[in-house]
Amino acid sequence: MPTYEYRGQLINISDADSEYRGYFEAASEHRLVVKKCSECGLLRGEPGPGCPWCTSLQWEWQDVSGKGTIYSYQIVAHTVVPSFRDWAPFAIVLVELDEQRGEPDPGDGLRFTANLVDADMNPELEENVAIGKRVDVVFYDGEDGFSLPQFRLIDEPPQGTVWTHQA
Amino acid sequence: MESNLRGKYCIVGVGETEYSRGSGRTTRAMGAEAIRNAMNDAGLKPQDIDGMLSYHGGDSTPSTAIQYDLGLRPNFYMDCSGGGSSTEALVGLAMGAIEAGMADTIAIFRSMNGYSQIRIGGTGVRAAAPIGGPDLMKRPYGLISAVQNFAFTFTRHMMEYGVTSEDLAHIKVAHSNHASNNPKALMKQRVTVDDVLSSRWIIRPCAHLLDCCLETDNATCVIVTSAERARDLKHKPVYILGVQGRGTKPGGDFHYQHGPITRVAGHYVGPRVFELAGVTHDDVDVTGCYDAFTYTVLLQFEDYGWCEKGEGKDFVKSGVINLGGKRPNNTSGGHLCEGYTHGMNMVIENVRQLRGAVDDYCPQAAEGIHTYDYSEGHCRQVRDAEISMNMGWGTPAVGSSLIMRR
Repeated sequence: MPTYEYRGQLINISDADSEYRGYFEAASEHRLVVKKCSECGLLRGEPGPGCPWCTSLQWEWQDVSGKGTIYSYQIVAHTVVPSFRDWAPFAIVLVELDEQRGEPDPGDGLRFTANLVDADMNPELEENVAIGKRVDVVFYDGEDGFSLPQFRLIDEPPQGTVWTHQA
Repeated sequence: MESNLRGKYCIVGVGETEYSRGSGRTTRAMGAEAIRNAMNDAGLKPQDIDGMLSYHGGDSTPSTAIQYDLGLRPNFYMDCSGGGSSTEALVGLAMGAIEAGMADTIAIFRSMNGYSQIRIGGTGVRAAAPIGGPDLMKRPYGLISAVQNFAFTFTRHMMEYGVTSEDLAHIKVAHSNHASNNPKALMKQRVTVDDVLSSRWIIRPCAHLLDCCLETDNATCVIVTSAERARDLKHKPVYILGVQGRGTKPGGDFHYQHGPITRVAGHYVGPRVFELAGVTHDDVDVTGCYDAFTYTVLLQFEDYGWCEKGEGKDFVKSGVINLGGKRPNNTSGGHLCEGYTHGMNMVIENVRQLRGAVDDYCPQAAEGIHTYDYSEGHCRQVRDAEISMNMGWGTPAVGSSLIMRR
């Protein structure tokens, strides 16, 4: 895959990038994927080369639903990236996917970082951001075939405690 | 876990440059000055220093350049990649290198133009670099700075344990009070809880501007040697009782894939360092708890066991961490107020505390005579400090600790 430009940043996905190239190739087809261990079958949220649970180096990409719950978040009031200034304040969320929650250990989950966006792919209003709210993946299509997974609120009952800071 | 090195090694010299925002010189020039100051502090000559250790993030000058500037000829050196929590770990590595016979006396330094060259906050050079590798999962979303990398842990901790911005502000207040008695500190003015809460937001809900440390240009140095070698040097040695680091959480850089994300590396480092040192929490008189942000202090106090998990918010308001309290923390003002040096300044401060010789505003501070008047512009020496503990932070998943005794 070539070098892309997104929000004024150069994004370099090398053909030799055995961790992330397949992830972004799938994203350009609007599929969210995780690595699945070919031996023990466990999924991992970080697409590293080895299985954290059985050390196997054999893996395959597996599609996931893209649905999940906001596990934590940050509202970027002051950004140090000049090309994000027109977005501030904007939310970055840590989303826990529905697949493999609490497995193999109770605190484990497939957790992804992304922006929380609205229907127009702009930042979701801060007052709507909360831990526990349900989200689904959505793909921002940039130029030259680059797509970026993002998350959007969906109309489903929240999971667990709903928490947000006092504005 | 056993150690037969308890008390066998010492820190015999400490030194630093001015803390500034715009040093107008290279990390090489600052590094040379810090090492020279530490050598002079110890009463050592260039030929006495036969080892060098440093850490950097591609933002410093190698030992082999600075060796020329001071006429050193190390038998051993390593320039290690690392940021916060490296100081304590390198103290341990220095002990190991001496124990292995590779060197006798080792200068450990960190030199950085963290304000005027490669800014620690992520602006400039860092933000302009192309995005590849693991950054692909973060930087396209505008997540680049240190506080952002830690913020998911901070926010989730606020939710689970009911921490507020006001709780965090008390940490800044305490450290600013300490800095007001430190002539070297970049930010000497005392601040109030309201000052912190009314400073502009950086990352909601966990960091106002005044919850963040100060990007600083500075170099620092500590010199490690054996207790035997230390006997005929200038100062009474400060003995290393135990050192542990850099210790990690499961998952390392990807620790947030595992739970609980509100737990930090101190959970693993703490029990080991106390056992190595052969002391308990109650024995410690003064602490240096890494304050890249107010929140790093609160989390480490909890996970090193100074209070129960979730009680950090009460602990930091209890007065314990203030000068005049039971166990003052970051008496120099730390990263929040003295300046940001990736942790070495808080080790230097504790060495001076244990010597009874901090450089405060007491009229006879140079002779080691202190007033113990902790009001603004006066004393910051802890009375009769015998044992100190440093808790270095790299990320939520990475930390180090060092326990020393006078």
